[in-house]
Amino acid sequence: MNLTVNGVESTIESGPLTSLLDVLRDELGVTSPKAGCEQGGCGACTVIVDGEPRRSCLTPVASVDGASVTTVEGLGSPEDMAPIQQAFTHHYAAQCGFCTSGMMMAAQAYIDRGGSDDPEAIQEALGGHVCRCTGYVKIIDAVGAAARGDSFDMTVTAAGTAMTNLGGVV
Amino acid sequence: MKAVGARVPRYDGVAHVTGHTQFVDDLRIPGALTVKAYRSPVHNARLTNLDTSRAEAMKGVHVITWKDVPLLEYGHLSALGIPADEPLLAKDEVRYLGQPIAIVAAPTEEAAMAAVDVITADFEELPALFDVRKAFDAGAPQIHVEGNWYRHFENEMDRRQIRKGNVEEAFDQADLIVQGVYRPAAIEHAPIETQVCQVVPEANGRLTIYSCTQALYFSMGVVAAHLQLPLNKLKVVGGTVGGGFGGKVDTATETMCALLAQKSGKPVRWRWTREEEFLCSSTRAPWHMEIADAVTKDGWILGRKMLTLHDSGAYSRFSPYGLTKHSFHHTGAYSIPNLEFDGYVVYTNRTPTTAMRGFGVTSVSFATETHMSRIALELGIDPYELRLKNANRIGDTSPNQIVYTDPSTVPTILAIADAVGHELTPEYRAMTPGQRTGDLLPEHLVGQLADPEAH
Repeated sequence: MNLTVNGVESTIESGPLTSLLDVLRDELGVTSPKAGCEQGGCGACTVIVDGEPRRSCLTPVASVDGASVTTVEGLGSPEDMAPIQQAFTHHYAAQCGFCTSGMMMAAQAYIDRGGSDDPEAIQEALGGHVCRCTGYVKIIDAVGAAARGDSFDMTVTAAGTAMTNLGGVV
Repeated sequence: MKAVGARVPRYDGVAHVTGHTQFVDDLRIPGALTVKAYRSPVHNARLTNLDTSRAEAMKGVHVITWKDVPLLEYGHLSALGIPADEPLLAKDEVRYLGQPIAIVAAPTEEAAMAAVDVITADFEELPALFDVRKAFDAGAPQIHVEGNWYRHFENEMDRRQIRKGNVEEAFDQADLIVQGVYRPAAIEHAPIETQVCQVVPEANGRLTIYSCTQALYFSMGVVAAHLQLPLNKLKVVGGTVGGGFGGKVDTATETMCALLAQKSGKPVRWRWTREEEFLCSSTRAPWHMEIADAVTKDGWILGRKMLTLHDSGAYSRFSPYGLTKHSFHHTGAYSIPNLEFDGYVVYTNRTPTTAMRGFGVTSVSFATETHMSRIALELGIDPYELRLKNANRIGDTSPNQIVYTDPSTVPTILAIADAVGHELTPEYRAMTPGQRTGDLLPEHLVGQLADPEAH
């Protein structure tokens, strides 16, 4: 099996029924998709597969053999953030950060298919995503801003940030 | 106050949106064993014939039970001298559904689950207790040897007790007694990141513990005590929490992972399933609160009697601390000079309860605020004016005799009235938190006053 993840093609060694989430995290070391519930209920594992948002925890890797997969790491880097990443930063849409990756991939897919800044439409698009911290208002504001094509001044909100690293074996 | 209302950078903001934040489960530690738990399938039982031999015979599988814990019982508040009541792993009895009994580490998740599946034990089930109101009944299921409620407040009192003024006199003088019972339910914290821990046994003999704990130094002390190790044998790495809300204050995983890392000599990783998070992790406590207030027709609260039953679940953990905070706040944001408060930390066969967002205080705030509205309704008085009249003011004293020097009740109530467009009479509109004088200093409030300058 093969997967192209964030533009990099890899041969997959895991068994065919291994979840795409486990393949990304354990075999490929792409850790932004999170194991929040592993039952398709929380949305933290969402990635974009051939343009569509998908629950990677419920996706056997064999069912997406040959697909192109995008995760948050593939959207943009800290030095060159994608609009949705800038919007989440500017609007303080991430709190603990654990649901953020899945939330952003669903938001990116929504914007890619021409979604507007209508809050109800955004709520519908993010309906399967649970955030325990923020109360959703800032997330919906951020997605709306990115959908409108707002430009963001990163000089304040992105200044002085650190790359949180536990210092373990990576 | 430079940060309030200003746009400030977030320490971890960019890392969160670029996938660079490393949560504990994101660490890739080569060769790490997967940890799974064998847990109690029943609420209350005598535990006998625990047999882990078939699991231990499986290739690459390591198992720990109570026999592997150097100090089996150590409480979350033991460092403060409070007796421990909870074994790290169940020994002779189980007191809640999901209580850990044996923990396994295996090379793969499948192997770990298979090992748990072949562990057996006998459970002689006992009647379970879930209702704190029945805990005091003769014949109620007995949860602990010492009884159904915690008995180790100062001077070995079995309750958190507050007495202030003369409550019987207040009740004699009252025009009306207003009573209410308030029972907020348990709440699961439900962080999107479940409990997770990784432990690496280092070549120098130390253990490196990666934990999602909210209370790193607490956890460090708890692990060191159970393992009977000096603190310098532990390196605890934390600080990245995928949501906690109080639910990651208890040391849920670190000690057992540390023991398995010691026993196996290999790194171990334990990530709870969502099911475990809901069934086995601690929750906010359910509370039972009864309030009776002695009030006058014109809206003064002369005295309060209150009984609180704090449902601690099967073990005390941090509940005595939560109940203490609760008791200090039992008059809410209001000055009531005559008080009789009794609060009990009650054991049940529920999952042990713990801190959550305003530990012990949100429950009593709910009760007191609802009760204020109930008093206003019964007296036919504007609920805002009732609150402003009885509001804490400079020089008033709290239930535990703290002198208020900058109480915020009056400006807060006024701001709420403004926000919802509630009309107040000019007399109330002009109110400040200043010291009581004139009509706002009736005879019953004189005795509780203190000199704010002296504090």
